[in-house]
Amino acid sequence: MNQAEVSKLISQLRITMRPNKRHLKNSEGPEGRLLKLRKTVTALVKHERIELFYNRADEARGYAELLISNAIRYGDRHKATMELADYWLLEKQLVHKLFKVLVPRYENFSSSYTRMLKAPRDYPGIYYKKSVLEFRGNPFPALVPDYTQNRNLLHNVLLDEARKEFRREQLAKMANKFAAETAAPPALATQENDAGN
Amino acid sequence: MNVNARVLSNRLAQQCSLKRIVTFSTKPTQQAAAVAVPQQKDAANSAPVRKPIVPAHYRFVYPEFLPDPKVEWRNTVREKLERLDMLDRRRQIELPEFYVGSILAVTSSDPHAAGKISRFVGICIHRERCGLRARFILRNVIDHQGIEVVYELYDPTIQKVEVLRLEKRVDDSLFYLRDALPEFSTFDEQMEPETLEEGTPVPINDIKVVLRPRPWLERWERQNLLGVANIDQYIKDKHRKSAEKVQKPWEKYDMMKHYRATIPEEEQKEIFAEVHTELHTLELQRKRNKRKRSFVKPKQLA
Repeated sequence: MNQAEVSKLISQLRITMRPNKRHLKNSEGPEGRLLKLRKTVTALVKHERIELFYNRADEARGYAELLISNAIRYGDRHKATMELADYWLLEKQLVHKLFKVLVPRYENFSSSYTRMLKAPRDYPGIYYKKSVLEFRGNPFPALVPDYTQNRNLLHNVLLDEARKEFRREQLAKMANKFAAETAAPPALATQENDAGN
Repeated sequence: MNVNARVLSNRLAQQCSLKRIVTFSTKPTQQAAAVAVPQQKDAANSAPVRKPIVPAHYRFVYPEFLPDPKVEWRNTVREKLERLDMLDRRRQIELPEFYVGSILAVTSSDPHAAGKISRFVGICIHRERCGLRARFILRNVIDHQGIEVVYELYDPTIQKVEVLRLEKRVDDSLFYLRDALPEFSTFDEQMEPETLEEGTPVPINDIKVVLRPRPWLERWERQNLLGVANIDQYIKDKHRKSAEKVQKPWEKYDMMKHYRATIPEEEQKEIFAEVHTELHTLELQRKRNKRKRSFVKPKQLA
């Protein structure tokens, strides 16, 4: 029953988080673990899509999310956030990318900023699970096929039918109109004849 | 509920604008978004929904209302019930705002004391735990003997909590007072409560405490204390080196560690929105009848 720390305000993560951290294997202790994760976060910000072992990706994901959410919350005029970005991004030109590209991209997002997918591992190989970690809205072609366009999906079938029916109605209307127009001239002619008389 | 509905519809509109649904059927969704937007405007115009305005300082004043961030121990139902119980207790007794470093006087029932009531005056050196188990430690030096009493904030035997001097110190906990000269934790039991003007921020007392020579109860040189004057006087180079070795400067940047130690802002808002009105009315009531006795004797049942 510990008291929650109140000196800092942090936005809620939009991803599911493990209750405890993973001790990524390293000889440098906790600092080495963070260095590993810094490399991963830097690579993610640089390339926007990376393939790596699942555990490391899952650990780095939270840090990437929090880095962006902090950058969105405080902006580039906030000293602590700048220090954070300086620490986490090993290549300093990426600090500019964070504040000028990623923050505008994710400002109005309601979902998480990153996406993680399971990747196949090569056989026979090291048994670690692999994954793909990527930013949402990246410029690369999507990894998951977009089935929303599939014509066999029920809602698409229904929409197709609705569209067909709509078209049929329009055609029928046009036909009726045309029929009315073609039927009208004789009547008009008789009227004109009456007027002339 | 209203606000939730609005948020939901906002989200819907956003999702629609993302055009993730089939491209050739975008028109109806756009119409839906267009319909949704005027509804919001209508709601905003006709009945301005008053959001509960929770002051930003509530998390400092009522930290025990925030649950333990440890995920395995979270239980939303228990937390909610505990909050209700805490409010119930607060209706019976005034539990004022105080911080580590404030000087308090706690009157509690004590079967062994003369008159069955004991009053202890001291400086709050530590606050810990949350919910109904929230507790604090008071320290004073009485008859040249350092005395510390642990009080649970919501303990029903507590009859009265008075804040004699409301202030903060520069450190999160003042355990180093145990190793400091006794005058730094000696407070007069007959002390009169000092009143602060309303609206003034809580003053921070940056007094530097003078420690006794070693041996100490803890290795204070390792804890980066701001409120201690003379640590350097008593430590040797080997202590300095070992203190440097155990420093963890990277923890400042470990965002997930901080995240796991805090309750995220959205959740805090939800929690304080739930208790805010009740706490606020209680505060107003206390202000109105400040002169009255704050302790209400419980009714005798059967």
